[in-house]
Amino acid sequence: MIVAEDLTKVYTMGRVEVRALGGVSLSVAKGEFVGIMGASGSGKSTLLHILGLLDRPTSGTVAIDGTNVLALSDRRRTLFRLNRLGYVFQDYALIGELTALENVYLTSLVRGDPKEEYLKKSVEILERVGLGDRIDHRQSELSGGEQQRVAIARALVNSPSILLADEPCANLDSQTSKSILDLFARLNEELDQTIVMVSHEDWHKEYFCRIVTLRDGLIEEMTECRRA
Amino acid sequence: MLEGLRVSAFLAWKAIQRGSKGTLALTIMIIALIFVNLVFLPSIISGVVETFNTQSIDFDFGNLVVEPREGSQYISGAAGLQKKIERVPGVTGTSPRITAGVTYFYRGRNTASTLYGITPEDERSVTRIADYMTEGEFLSNGDTDAIVMGATLAGREGEEGGGLPTLEGVTVGDSVEVGYPNGETRTYRVKGIFETQSFGVDTAAFVTGQEMSDVLGLRDQASMVLVKTEVNGREEEYKTELLSYGIQENVWTFREKAGGFVDQAIQSFNIINTISTLVSLIIAVVVVFIVIFINTVNRRRQIGILKAIGIDQQIIINSYVLQVLFITAVGALVGIALNAGVTTYLTAYPLVFPGGPVYPAVEASAILRSIASLFAVSVVAGYIPAWQIVREEILSAIRG
Ligand SMILES: Nc1ncnc2c1ncn2[C@@H]1O[C@H](COP(=O)(O)OP(=O)(O)OP(=O)(O)O)[C@@H](O)[C@H]1O
Ligand SMILES: [Mg+2]
Repeated sequence: MIVAEDLTKVYTMGRVEVRALGGVSLSVAKGEFVGIMGASGSGKSTLLHILGLLDRPTSGTVAIDGTNVLALSDRRRTLFRLNRLGYVFQDYALIGELTALENVYLTSLVRGDPKEEYLKKSVEILERVGLGDRIDHRQSELSGGEQQRVAIARALVNSPSILLADEPCANLDSQTSKSILDLFARLNEELDQTIVMVSHEDWHKEYFCRIVTLRDGLIEEMTECRRA
Repeated sequence: MLEGLRVSAFLAWKAIQRGSKGTLALTIMIIALIFVNLVFLPSIISGVVETFNTQSIDFDFGNLVVEPREGSQYISGAAGLQKKIERVPGVTGTSPRITAGVTYFYRGRNTASTLYGITPEDERSVTRIADYMTEGEFLSNGDTDAIVMGATLAGREGEEGGGLPTLEGVTVGDSVEVGYPNGETRTYRVKGIFETQSFGVDTAAFVTGQEMSDVLGLRDQASMVLVKTEVNGREEEYKTELLSYGIQENVWTFREKAGGFVDQAIQSFNIINTISTLVSLIIAVVVVFIVIFINTVNRRRQIGILKAIGIDQQIIINSYVLQVLFITAVGALVGIALNAGVTTYLTAYPLVFPGGPVYPAVEASAILRSIASLFAVSVVAGYIPAWQIVREEILSAIRG
């Protein structure tokens, strides 16, 4: 679970200070599917980057599963990302020189998992996102939706304790978006997967158990979890 | 650690396999050319040194030269000394020579140069002058009125020597008069003309030692004894060996005799070589650095992604270093092939230097040294850009 307290993020550009986050406190319990919403520029990505250990806040604290992640060295943060977090970028962020399958099993390779195991796991997860017949395709040979699903498979392959996704449907048509949200919902229900997802589409709301709305770097509204 | 290297190798191999073939080929070619550049000049310089050495041994001095002890003009008991030297293991021939500074007279022209008195059969066992006759024949034992002459000294009709002694057009069968230092003069029939490309020999002439001893009134005396050994390059050892056999005379290696000239030339060549190697290596650093740097910068985003999904910096850096090592290895192989091509060509059509034709002498040590420096340079040039970008913030790297 995530406990973030009083997070601020200030970007200084010359003499101008941009306050991307102005003091955000947020807890996400295990098994929640949280949607972070808000207008463009409200700080959604900034928040997710900090929760995903890709960026450091200007002030505030973040604990994930009891670990004060801001105190970790860079190397430990990298390990933490590898073993505990799955991150889906808005623009897929696949490695172009690798096939879908290689993209998915790369992190397992780094973890030193046995080959048969990670191959089986990776193929399974690719089948699960509906890419069973695309495993040897490279990024340039996949559609946007397919690339996004590879990115999701990569984020999920090591069964992360938290899946973070930044507008995973932004570039997809509503049909594909729906299939991805259905997948998230299934993972959330069946495997009790914790998910924090950024979105600005109103119709996504029905998938989330809890919605956090940001405005100008502050929490404007936070609902209770529907299921809990 | 090992696991990490496996991942680095995996990433490196995929990048090579699926990256831009054009860039790959270009980089390999650049490395190959730098390699050729590193090996070629040293091989020519070694070739020049080699030519100097062979020329000196084959035509000027043999491997060792034995000279009179301090204070004497001649070695006395030359025949005995010869026998003594020939007993030293590894000595394959000896040739006593008498030297005289003489004046040659021919058709109203005259010039001063060296005349050697030799025992033709002995001379053949040391130098190869007899194999380089362009006209006529070499001397035989017992010749008394015959002279053989170097091509420069014989000269050509109407061509002045440009500072070198020349009689401008002596041919076989002509008579040449020789004025000895003791005032005696003799007329000899030219029996042969030789050309060795070694200017000290080509400006001299030979008569038999018997004839010269007669004229100068010598008995069993020699100005020097040339010594030929079984192998070249071990003159110092043979010199020690000779001295340990109780030879009282002065013993010189051909290199000592050739003296400052060859050593200086070698030294100058080595300076040129060092400068050229340094320049090549600096170019190598810069070129490899630029190529790898562009390549790495183009992959900033990818490096950011790798970090974001939890891949250790060292694994990422190593994957770039491995790519560079691979490219360098292939480049070096291509370079070796190219160099072999150039060497084969220059062996068939050698460069011609004043000392004679120069064949590129590629030394294994030069190849190894070049490969080692290429690898060192590439690793540095590959490591730095990767290291720089890996240290960047993940987000700014991913944004590209
Ligand atoms: N690297 C940066 N340097 C300066 N300002 C930044 C930087 N990144 C973000 N910002 C600013 O911080 C604010 C929040 O940005 P953020 O990316 O979190 O918004 P967002 O809610 O994700 O918007 P969108 O819906 O458009 O993705 C914006 O005003 C943005 O301009
Ligand atoms: Mg955003």
